[in-house]
Amino acid sequence: MNAMNQNSNRRGFLNFTGNSLTGAALASLWMRDRVASADAVPGEATGLPHHPAKAKRVIHLCLCGGLSHIDSFDYKPELAAFHGKSMPSGDRPATFFNQIGLIRKNDWEFKQRGESGLWISDLFPHLAEMADELTVIRSMVADSANHTPATFEENSGFRLNGFPVMGSWVSYGLGCETDELPSYVVLPDARGLPAGGTINWSNGFLPAQHQGVSFQTTGPVIHDLFPARDLSMEHETASRELLEQINSIHREATGDEDALVARMRSYELAAKMQLAVPQVSELNQESASTRSMYGLDREETADFGSRCLLTRRLLEKGVRFVQLFSGGSFGSPRINWYGHENVKQNHTQEAARLDQPVAALLKDLRQRGMLDDTLVLCTTEFGRTPFTQSAADNIGTGRDHNMHGFSIWMAGAGLKPGVAYGATDEIGWKSVEKPVHWYDYHATVLHLLGVDHERLTYYHNGIQRRLTNVHGEIIQDILT
Amino acid sequence: MRSLLYVSALLSILFARNVSADKIKSQHFDRVVAPLLAQRCLSCHSGDEAKGDLNLSTHDSAMKGGESGVVIAPNELSHSLLWEYIESDEMPPKKPLTADEKEILRTWIEGGAVWGTESIDAFRLTTDARAGTDWWSLQQLQKPQLPPVTRTGWTTNPIDAFVETKLIEMGLAPSPAADRRTLIRRLSFDLLGLPPTPSEVDAFLADTSTDAYERLVDRLLNSPHYGERWARHWLDIVRFGESNGFEYDQPRDNAWHYRNWVITALNQDMPYDEFVRLQLAGDLIDSDNYNAAAATGFLVAGPHNTTLPANDVMRMSMAQDELEDLVGIVSQTFLGLTTNCARCHDHKFDPISQREYYQFAATLTGVTHGQRKMQIALSDDQQQRLTAIDARVGEIALALDSIEQPIRDAILAERKRGNEAVQVPPVAFAAWEFDQNFDDSIGSLQGISNGDARIEDGCLVLSGTDAWVATAPLAIDLREKTIEAWVQLNDLDQRGGGVISVQTLDGATFDAIVFGEREPQKWMAGSNGFVRTMPFNGNEESEATQRVVHVAIVYLEDGTIVGYRDGKRYGEPYRPRELQTYHANQTQIVFGLRHSPAAANKMLSGRIQRAQLYDRALSDEEVASSAGVVDLNHVSQTQIIARFSPDQRSRFEQLSADADALRSEKESLANLQTVELYTCVSQAPGITRLLKRGDVQSPAETIIPAGLSAVVGVNPDFSLAADAGDADRRLRLAEWITHRDNPLFARVIVNRLWQYHFGSGLVTTASDFGFNGGTPSHPELLEWLAMTLRENGYRLKSMHRLMVTSAAYRQVSTRNVQSAKLDTDNRWLWRKSPLRLEAEEVRDAILVASRQLNSTVGGVGYRDVRHFEFKGSNFYESIDESASDSLRRTLYRFAPRGGHNPFLDTFDCPDPSTTTPRRATTITPMQALALMNNDLVFQMADKFATRVQREVGETGTTVQQINAVYAHAYGRTANKSELDLGCRFVEKNGLASYCRVIFNSNEFLYVP
Repeated sequence: MNAMNQNSNRRGFLNFTGNSLTGAALASLWMRDRVASADAVPGEATGLPHHPAKAKRVIHLCLCGGLSHIDSFDYKPELAAFHGKSMPSGDRPATFFNQIGLIRKNDWEFKQRGESGLWISDLFPHLAEMADELTVIRSMVADSANHTPATFEENSGFRLNGFPVMGSWVSYGLGCETDELPSYVVLPDARGLPAGGTINWSNGFLPAQHQGVSFQTTGPVIHDLFPARDLSMEHETASRELLEQINSIHREATGDEDALVARMRSYELAAKMQLAVPQVSELNQESASTRSMYGLDREETADFGSRCLLTRRLLEKGVRFVQLFSGGSFGSPRINWYGHENVKQNHTQEAARLDQPVAALLKDLRQRGMLDDTLVLCTTEFGRTPFTQSAADNIGTGRDHNMHGFSIWMAGAGLKPGVAYGATDEIGWKSVEKPVHWYDYHATVLHLLGVDHERLTYYHNGIQRRLTNVHGEIIQDILT
Repeated sequence: MRSLLYVSALLSILFARNVSADKIKSQHFDRVVAPLLAQRCLSCHSGDEAKGDLNLSTHDSAMKGGESGVVIAPNELSHSLLWEYIESDEMPPKKPLTADEKEILRTWIEGGAVWGTESIDAFRLTTDARAGTDWWSLQQLQKPQLPPVTRTGWTTNPIDAFVETKLIEMGLAPSPAADRRTLIRRLSFDLLGLPPTPSEVDAFLADTSTDAYERLVDRLLNSPHYGERWARHWLDIVRFGESNGFEYDQPRDNAWHYRNWVITALNQDMPYDEFVRLQLAGDLIDSDNYNAAAATGFLVAGPHNTTLPANDVMRMSMAQDELEDLVGIVSQTFLGLTTNCARCHDHKFDPISQREYYQFAATLTGVTHGQRKMQIALSDDQQQRLTAIDARVGEIALALDSIEQPIRDAILAERKRGNEAVQVPPVAFAAWEFDQNFDDSIGSLQGISNGDARIEDGCLVLSGTDAWVATAPLAIDLREKTIEAWVQLNDLDQRGGGVISVQTLDGATFDAIVFGEREPQKWMAGSNGFVRTMPFNGNEESEATQRVVHVAIVYLEDGTIVGYRDGKRYGEPYRPRELQTYHANQTQIVFGLRHSPAAANKMLSGRIQRAQLYDRALSDEEVASSAGVVDLNHVSQTQIIARFSPDQRSRFEQLSADADALRSEKESLANLQTVELYTCVSQAPGITRLLKRGDVQSPAETIIPAGLSAVVGVNPDFSLAADAGDADRRLRLAEWITHRDNPLFARVIVNRLWQYHFGSGLVTTASDFGFNGGTPSHPELLEWLAMTLRENGYRLKSMHRLMVTSAAYRQVSTRNVQSAKLDTDNRWLWRKSPLRLEAEEVRDAILVASRQLNSTVGGVGYRDVRHFEFKGSNFYESIDESASDSLRRTLYRFAPRGGHNPFLDTFDCPDPSTTTPRRATTITPMQALALMNNDLVFQMADKFATRVQREVGETGTTVQQINAVYAHAYGRTANKSELDLGCRFVEKNGLASYCRVIFNSNEFLYVP
């Protein structure tokens, strides 16, 4: 490795100090609206928003592995009565591992919270305090009980690789409020990337600028943000000037080719990004009490807390979509919401990392008035079964994947707060009342952003592709 | 009487008149009414899932009505609900009928609503909502008339006649021809993906012959780099990636053979029909041929999920998802049809029914992902060495035998005298006789039956669907071990059933005797995630249905695994990794099941007569003895060695060592000869059923594999049975697709070639020639090109030659303000569109300028990622790629789906998970950051500078250096102001920094 990389390794994510590139920032502003001719920056949707938007930006907390809804947001008093029994219907359910044990009651106590009286378990004590901000959907349904296809569906609406995820669609539809930062930022878990790695923030067939930009926890925050070598400011400025001059001479010969002009402008934007990214990543600019509120001072919450705080800062600067992953890949020992062996132990470990930071994020957004036009989403690819994953005559400690019924929550702009929508059956096995599919969820999120999910399309191989494929009903009942 | 006759005649006349009136009405219906219904109503009101349950496509269903009751009351307009909806413009919902159209339906109902041909073919006519079988791209190729030449001096070949006609029609004029510098740069990037060298530029400029351009084209088409450049286009379309994608994303270390094959085939100018036939069915056309097997890498180029649920429905549904993906890629790539859109319902836009989707899909259900070992030919030298080794090994064998034979004779003589006891079978740790029960007759590993497992005639009988036996836990730790069983199978086609398995109690870790899982009809040592599984390469089982066979697997301390059948070695032992330890009280034995949890695809169908477990590794003799096939005349080597004198022993050891060395040399030669490739493995396709709404839990009628009837001119009937084998299916599919009368086949490929040469296709949607795709800008030109390709035997190089020698291609790319106003996108080709380099070309051009490109053609790729396994999933992390052996053309980059190269991504390098028939060209700040700051750019700028300094020598001036930089980077010399600018910068900041800026310049990245 050369000197540059050693140098950049010293620039940690959380102690990223402003690089000395100030002088390189070029004067001219270059807002998105000013890219007047559409073909100069191809690949952005036109005619948006379709209707006035309630939400301007999105935070997506993506919980990998499968959060047990019956231990968190879906209170099933009947479960206690069925504890140790087989399925009341007498059916033998089909599950991923096909090991159908006896029913197990919830491992955490549920209480009604806040003024709304929303039921939330003790798994999330901090989040429970923010109950009056949450809109819980308790009747989610997915089409796959296999982690990765289910996660793809959660994020892209399709079970296969290669489709654009929601963050990319939103970036394509709405662009960015700033030209200094990417429109779609991804903050992976410090313990590792989710299974499938970068596939999870793929732009699929959408143009490359809509790919999620992963902020790294080590090395430079963004790939190639700064020169791979230490250069003097003077030197760098001279280089940029030379580039400008060489391109101008070339431009005289070619005429005003849109693409060539746009390329020249893209270097100005790059320079602005070099200033903005280190600044926004500088969490030390926050007060000690804020840092403490997000849990930066405690080991178990430091990772998620830092990312939540960074998220708020990114949104303040105009980033459109920030996606935080809670959990990495599968395998042992567990580093995500993977409760096959022991839900109690696993979920305790995972919730401790996320509970306080997420509650702090909601509180902070509320205090700053940002929750009024920010949408916070917290989803998981599927839930967990009310019966344990064990021998048929046994109450085990782990639960299998459940695609038939599970819970997610949303908060913020345009949503009715403190309500729960839909319901699963008496034991939380299947959604029975107002089932919500990922398509419906995606349609609703886009709707809140001022986007008609049937009109945000991109032609690919014979189809005007949509995030919602050919489906999607807006969940009107949860909207204000 | 007379009157009677009269009346009768009158009646008959009246009757005849009535008949003919109805006939006229019915003809009128077919001619006028049916097309209207088809165009405006049937997209919702037909088929099994007609809206409102109203199906207007047949007489009976139309008259029956729908949810709201009868809708057509003949002669009674006011009672016809259909009319009510139409008149009020409630139907059709989005675009009401015109007054004329309403009139047609009104008079039809009032005239008695007489129907014509029973069933209206909703696919026959194109409407404003969908394509019918009369859609342009589905029609037979028609050779068009060449337009008359109107502007003498501009046109060079028939392409120009078509282009010029269109330009004139549009009020545009062609641009003048580009200069030679521009042309060689354009051609070089276009045909090779590489810039021309300064000496190539000079040579072309100096060539005064009239055919200099044509000869340049030929030289480039004959360059091996041509295949590399155009293989990249092809790999985009087929979404070639080198890992599985999904959760595990395992690397495919041997997938590169396909890329290699594409490069070679293109360089050889393989006819396009053969190129396609081999990709669809090479393994069936020439089953033992390495190249043919490599070609079918096409069928498995996409993602593949190896995380399999235990649940059957979930597994089937995943398989259907992947099948849809395969149908999509086959149909889009070669036909430009999105057949995959008809999985759940009839195609919404093209005349492809849901049934036809399943017919088409049924031709591909024999395709599975896998690895094949193939033999490739050795060189003459290698062949000679092999012969010599064999001869020497034979001599050694004779020499060894001369030492051993006297001892062997002595032992046999003693045996005859009864001095040495006949070897008795080894004693097992546990044994199950299955005579009356499932008990262990030696120890305490009592079995418990599950499902319908039962004892019958002294055998454990296993149904193959829900029968297995599991024992109590072992009380000891188990390391070395031997498992054996006497087993008979119910059928030889079963896949993946376990005979005897040592497993942890949850089944997560196991070692088992398994039949036919990875390779049909072969025994294998099954293990969790195949971590200790490799093929034994034993023979295919052919007898186990007729009699009981003995199968054993021995697991040695060093990890070696040895298979036996009937007491003899089964294939070759192998050592995959370390021996697995099984812990006391956490381990059990299961019979009839590969491992827990139970699932039908892990069950054995057959009977087990006996089974035994040993807590040690048996020797060859012991296994043979246990199998009951001890040969009294066999003396083992161990017995012989024990009796050697010291001299004999040293001589024996010397000879054995020599033989070992020779064998290992032979083995490495054989390894050279054997290659393993990731490719299509043919399997029994099974029976396909139509799935209602695409749901695996709603199977309907059985489907016969066939083509699509929408493609006019080629018979879609493959004359196959529903249970036809994979070979018949795929061969027929390949014949059908590549048939000379298939009009889409030639149209789609000439359009792709045009797109890559000109930046945009005549049809802009290269993989979709259906209703949603574009229509051709120059329809006659497209026809002419397709016919020409077919006539010249599908040779792509002659098509390239035709396109790039046209005057249309040779135009300047300069912007003409007037023309740009009329045609911004240059659809009518008033100039040559300038093109930005593709991601791979950017990196390659940088490497060429800095003289660092390793231009080796073909072979294994380079890796710019660190691959690591983390908790069972595979990850690919970017690493420094500056090591010189990796500086190959970017085409050779190992391309895992989960590990893109961020630098290339910014230049729109496509995601290998999805087909990319046409790349986007974006301009972003991330791209600027990458090109300014990436380490490779700095390193190559250094090398570029060093190269230039060396070329101009120590005495060279800065002006000379800058001119050299311009020659390498732009193929020209610098002008005065460029020199001034350069000199000032270089003198202050150095030549390397200057080179970095050049790499970032527009002129470097755009081909005029």
